[in-house]
Amino acid sequence: MFSGPPPTDYFAIFGIENKLALDVEDLQRRFYANSREWHPDRHARAGAQQLAYAEAASATLNDAWRVLRDPVARAEYVLKNAGFDIGEQRGRDVPPELLEEVFELNMALEEARDGDENAKAEVARALTKFEGLLKDIDVQRDGIFLDYDANPKHETLTALRALLNRRKYLQNLVRDARAALV
Amino acid sequence: MAYSDKVVDHYNNPRNVGSMDKSRTDVGTGMVGAPECGDVMKLQIQVNSATGIIEDAKFKTFGCGSAIASSSLATEWLKGKSVDEALEIKNTDIVNELALPPVKIHCSVLAEDAIKAAINDYKTKQGAPVSAETVS
Repeated sequence: MFSGPPPTDYFAIFGIENKLALDVEDLQRRFYANSREWHPDRHARAGAQQLAYAEAASATLNDAWRVLRDPVARAEYVLKNAGFDIGEQRGRDVPPELLEEVFELNMALEEARDGDENAKAEVARALTKFEGLLKDIDVQRDGIFLDYDANPKHETLTALRALLNRRKYLQNLVRDARAALV
Repeated sequence: MAYSDKVVDHYNNPRNVGSMDKSRTDVGTGMVGAPECGDVMKLQIQVNSATGIIEDAKFKTFGCGSAIASSSLATEWLKGKSVDEALEIKNTDIVNELALPPVKIHCSVLAEDAIKAAINDYKTKQGAPVSAETVS
């Protein structure tokens, strides 16, 4: 097993199938088991080739655990591997109604920062609403995960991309709104 | 990362900040956003329907200095142009004028999208057939 480099794919390093919906408890068990098995200290005297394998496998395993245990980071990983550009996303898949809401909340945030108490109440209302929307998005996300795992189609990933864009927006807003209400 | 002098100037003294009544038929509104950084940009034009000339332009952007500078510059350029001339404004023109670094190019893309969205909205209100170029 120590011939050639270890897998670089995050699912492969865990020895699991490439799925969006993961049992994180199972993943954690595998992480601990593999971490023990590939801990470089255990291979220190086993020769350079085996030590190099253990070091590379441990490093990939740590990165993979950080990414795969988090549903959003896991989805971004799958999207990136499927050729979706992450990072500089164009805003076209954000629905216009959401943009309007984002804009209005930003206006209220600006006023709240200037000490306007009415604006603060508006921000508090918006915060409750956006927190609810975030929860809805996570439910939708889990649905898309199962959908894609059962039937891996490109358009399902396109829908996932759009959903995660919305989520990112809402997350930034919730963060800003909370900061404005402190 | 250091901003260019022009970006700093537009950021400190943004031109044409404000908003117009978006229900007016001679006003076109473009609202665009970039989810990754959370930027949102509203750009509006007021067009003389007889001449097709953009008489006024306003913007309000929540975002980084480059996003604010890109939209501020866009409103400056829009005023006095015909709607068709305005469609010629490219994000690369904004990049060059503001000396935007590669990581901020998406801000100029956002501004170009906002211009096109505003013109699209204006044309839709006027009942004119929307050209393929403005449909996004």
